[in-house]
Amino acid sequence: MSRRRNPWLHRALGLLLGGVFLYAAHEKVLDPRPLVTIIWNYRILPPGPVNLMAIYMPWLELVVGLGLITGYKRRAAAGWASALLLAFMFALLVNAVRGVNVACGCFSTSATQTNNAWLLVLRDLPMLAAALWMLVFPPKKQPTRSRA
Amino acid sequence: MLAFHAVSRELLRDALLYLAVVLVLGTAANVLPGRGLAWWGQGKQPPQTGVDFAWLDAASVEALRAALPKVTIIDTRPPSEFAANHVEGALSLPYTEASARLTPALLQRLQGSDAVILYGSSPEADTEQLLAQELRLLGVAPPHILIGALEAWVANGLPVAQGGTP
Repeated sequence: MSRRRNPWLHRALGLLLGGVFLYAAHEKVLDPRPLVTIIWNYRILPPGPVNLMAIYMPWLELVVGLGLITGYKRRAAAGWASALLLAFMFALLVNAVRGVNVACGCFSTSATQTNNAWLLVLRDLPMLAAALWMLVFPPKKQPTRSRA
Repeated sequence: MLAFHAVSRELLRDALLYLAVVLVLGTAANVLPGRGLAWWGQGKQPPQTGVDFAWLDAASVEALRAALPKVTIIDTRPPSEFAANHVEGALSLPYTEASARLTPALLQRLQGSDAVILYGSSPEADTEQLLAQELRLLGVAPPHILIGALEAWVANGLPVAQGGTP
């Protein structure tokens, strides 16, 4: 079996990345209101959909985190994780290019904790690599044995 | 090629299942009483210092209260936390219940106050900033927010009280 399709590697990556997503989601799921300000401060979305994003994105992080950890349809969870990470990195890159260090809202809902946007993009890269790995190289399905 | 299409279809189906779960959970959570965010942004700017509110330290709040006759202090924490400990003379107005509790009489009182001061439990004061903006849009003079929240008030040895909503 190819090493990159090793199921244990996928379980380990799923646990690590899923843990990060669960940790990122917990505060936002409990209270999404401060997230509105954070998303607004990225200055990418118009005012209308900002609230929708604050309502649903934490739950997507939570469900994806659970999927990665439990392995339930892990490839789909990895697909969503990749999409989320790409979206986060795009938003951070836009602000890095603008020269604005935004409060990322990555692991907390504090609108006052700003970070260097370039460093945040770099921090997201290994997570994106892990998510893409699980998406592109799914473990081979074991052939089912016939009892006949 | 056929196998690729089959896998892609399965992946898409699973991804849509995830999306459906998220939509159900997110919608259910947002319709819970006391939690609802407007589904569509109202086009408001985020609260801004100097426009929607101003920061004020605990000693200045106490000095303001001693100097002016009509200073209203508002506690934005849940009622159970308010009952356990709050700034002496404060009103309880949790952010999530503001629309229900903000009666015309209370709004009139706030509009007629010499100063309105908000505090909560978090030094970040995200909730207080949002409430300050809403009050300002309702015609209240831009409120002050207590720097360091209730913790700073207590640390300064200023008067506190226990008990339910006054």
